[in-house]
Amino acid sequence: MVGGVTVILLCLLAIFAEAIAPYSYTKPNFGRLYEFPSRDFPLGTDQLGRDVLSRMIYGARVSMLVGLGAQVIVVLIGVPIGAISGYIGGRTDLLLTRFVDVMYAFPRLLFVILVMSMLGAGLMNIFIALGLTGWVGIARQTRAQVLSLKEKEFVEGARALGAGFWRVMTRHVLPGALTPIVVSITFGIPEAIFTEAALSFIGVGINPPTPSWGQMVGENQQFLRSYWHLCVFPSIAIAVTMLSFTFFGDGVRDALDPKMQ
Amino acid sequence: MRIPDEQLALFQTRLEAIGLGRRDFLKVVGAMAAFGGLGFATEARAAKPTKPGPGEKLAKDQTFRFGGGGWYQNDPASHDFNKDLYCSGVPALWAGLMVFTADFVAEPWMASKVQSNKDGSVWTFTIRKDSRWSDNSPVSARDFEWSFKRQLDPATAAPYASFLYDIKNGEAFNKKQVTDRDQVGVKAKDDWTLEVTLEGPRGYFPVLAAYLAALPAHRGAVEKHGDKWTEAANIVTNGPFTLEAWEHNKQIVLKKNPHYYGAKGVHLNRVVIPIIPVASGSLPYENNELDMTALQAGDLKKLQSDPRSSKDVFRYPFPGTWYLLPQVTKPPFDNLKVRRAVAHAIDRENVVKVSQGLAIPAWSMIPPGFPGAVDDPKIKAIQKYDKKAALDMLKGTPFEGGKNWPRIALSMRDEGLGSKPLAEAVQAVLLDSLNMKTELEVLEPRVFRERLWKQDLQFVWIRWFMDYPDPHNEYFDTFYGKKTTGKRQAWVNDAFDRELEAGRDTRDPKKRLEHYKKAEEIMQSDVGYVPVAWVVRYAAKKPWVGGLEKNKAGEFVVDGNIYVDMLQHLYVIEKG
Repeated sequence: MVGGVTVILLCLLAIFAEAIAPYSYTKPNFGRLYEFPSRDFPLGTDQLGRDVLSRMIYGARVSMLVGLGAQVIVVLIGVPIGAISGYIGGRTDLLLTRFVDVMYAFPRLLFVILVMSMLGAGLMNIFIALGLTGWVGIARQTRAQVLSLKEKEFVEGARALGAGFWRVMTRHVLPGALTPIVVSITFGIPEAIFTEAALSFIGVGINPPTPSWGQMVGENQQFLRSYWHLCVFPSIAIAVTMLSFTFFGDGVRDALDPKMQ
Repeated sequence: MRIPDEQLALFQTRLEAIGLGRRDFLKVVGAMAAFGGLGFATEARAAKPTKPGPGEKLAKDQTFRFGGGGWYQNDPASHDFNKDLYCSGVPALWAGLMVFTADFVAEPWMASKVQSNKDGSVWTFTIRKDSRWSDNSPVSARDFEWSFKRQLDPATAAPYASFLYDIKNGEAFNKKQVTDRDQVGVKAKDDWTLEVTLEGPRGYFPVLAAYLAALPAHRGAVEKHGDKWTEAANIVTNGPFTLEAWEHNKQIVLKKNPHYYGAKGVHLNRVVIPIIPVASGSLPYENNELDMTALQAGDLKKLQSDPRSSKDVFRYPFPGTWYLLPQVTKPPFDNLKVRRAVAHAIDRENVVKVSQGLAIPAWSMIPPGFPGAVDDPKIKAIQKYDKKAALDMLKGTPFEGGKNWPRIALSMRDEGLGSKPLAEAVQAVLLDSLNMKTELEVLEPRVFRERLWKQDLQFVWIRWFMDYPDPHNEYFDTFYGKKTTGKRQAWVNDAFDRELEAGRDTRDPKKRLEHYKKAEEIMQSDVGYVPVAWVVRYAAKKPWVGGLEKNKAGEFVVDGNIYVDMLQHLYVIEKG
């Protein structure tokens, strides 16, 4: 419940950043560098005198975009592969499953860093990198669901009535497999957000001046002792976002799938 | 007998390269005349122990601890300067033939006398007899012969062996065209006489002999232990210090070398150098775990504002320049008006504020106080910050009014602190003045250099750290159009190149500087680069650290890549 509310709030922040943020996220204020939280700047200013609060609000947009955008790609790759593999079976299944296993064996963050250094930094490339590496789990889930569903009577019935592969898949099998997929997506979002933060932290994520929480923490960790506010607030934002998505995911699972309780 | 002009010119360039002015030049030429124009000799460097100042009493425990803030942030690859001058080990372990003073003047060190033949193509170093290796064996001419040959030997695979290519057959030997090492022009005529025969007249050879790359190695240790010879258990050194312990990635401990000829004048018994990442900042210093440390942005301000530590902070020379390279082969910077607009658009006063005191606004390549620095209002006017002038420049271009900019990536090297905030400030002022949106692309150092040298980057944020204080370094080594390797920019200008050539070939120092000034003006008018900021460095030392040398300008000097003679002068004062 709390998770859900925070998630909605974060989404609103991201959508209406322009209206909510008190200052621009690019405009420097050279007269007021590295200021601590004050009435003018509730969370202080950064190395260019930019308002930390405003940059965090715009940073929420990046996080949400990455979280959702990456999951779209994950679903677009993972679900078809899982479904085809599970439904057709045989040699196709064997090949696809082994391929999935190989992909699964890569350490995710390292693989993402590799992809990012090939593609270069940028929001679009983060989508691609996260999508290319994140679809494996969802493909396995989908395959498992399809395997059990395709033997069910109603699917056999549909086939007996002459329904083609496409129709059986979209009308009968996938709707049944939807619940675990949705749950997997909600858990995938915070993972993607965190990966983006980690990438930006080490400097291969989002290019400045576009703000990202991970980048804000990474750039300012050296000043932790002198200007604590530059690191602490974005870190809190990352932590809160992760937690609320996890709670939200829990809630969604409980609501959709009482059997798993 | 007269020394030929081109020889004198070459000699003078090299002297200037190490910071000697016109008067010193005349002095040396006078000395040459006194020697009948046959060569020159300099007095051997007497062991001049630093004496504690009045009221200072030497502490019983002469242990000095330094590092942090960028010094010794990584474990050294080795202490083998003879093989790799960038091994980032401790130079105080070694003593070369010559050494640089705090004013970057080369003086004899392990040599007691330096002589050359008539044209400067053969140099004779007389080696002092009173200094020994840390295993109590004598430091002889044979050690230097062996060390130079080791560096040139292709089997050693020394990455910077070309440093010694002035030596006769040095290049041929290094490139395996000559296999007989006896043909290389270094020879110990006896234990105390080293004769170096060069490819031709090279008046500056004694200066080269003062660089890190000319430090010796110990034959016995190298032959016995191979690559592991600079480990604490194996190493044999001839400098003021020797290696007591080297705990990798943790700390390096030096102790006084009792066999060094000047050991009596060396106060420090122990030197502890912990390996500390930059991110720890000045915390170890504040906790009294270090006696001296380099300072990064956040810490500088912190220490300066604290009354207990503000007196500890001092500035030291580290000449360098931050600048922008608009690539003239890539739009929109192929348009001169756009480049001029960029030059006018940089609000330098404000940009340097983000560095927290570690940069000052720059209007040319050479920082004030160094030979070739220009203070000409005409040159300052070329890139003066003027928002209106910047926007006016765009009139008649497709970008009039700050519109229609293509995607612009500003690229920089992934490196130490202070670089990125400055780059972000530059982005911000470009956006403010010209509405020019740029994306900051931080590239892995190797990728950066590769693409830089291919002139493949559109817009570059970069610095040049001065190697030696002569304009030749800041212009010729950096921007000369006919350079074949390591060229950073596609920009070429014939008039500019001609000035550089004239600067190189002119002997009169005043006229030389005129050529470089003209070159600076040409380069800025054609916007081959945009100067932004000069580097400033700070360090802090505890009140009980004494003996730090000062240069002519009265600034404290710490170990860098030219001067590396700091430790043997230091002492620890009894804490009152």
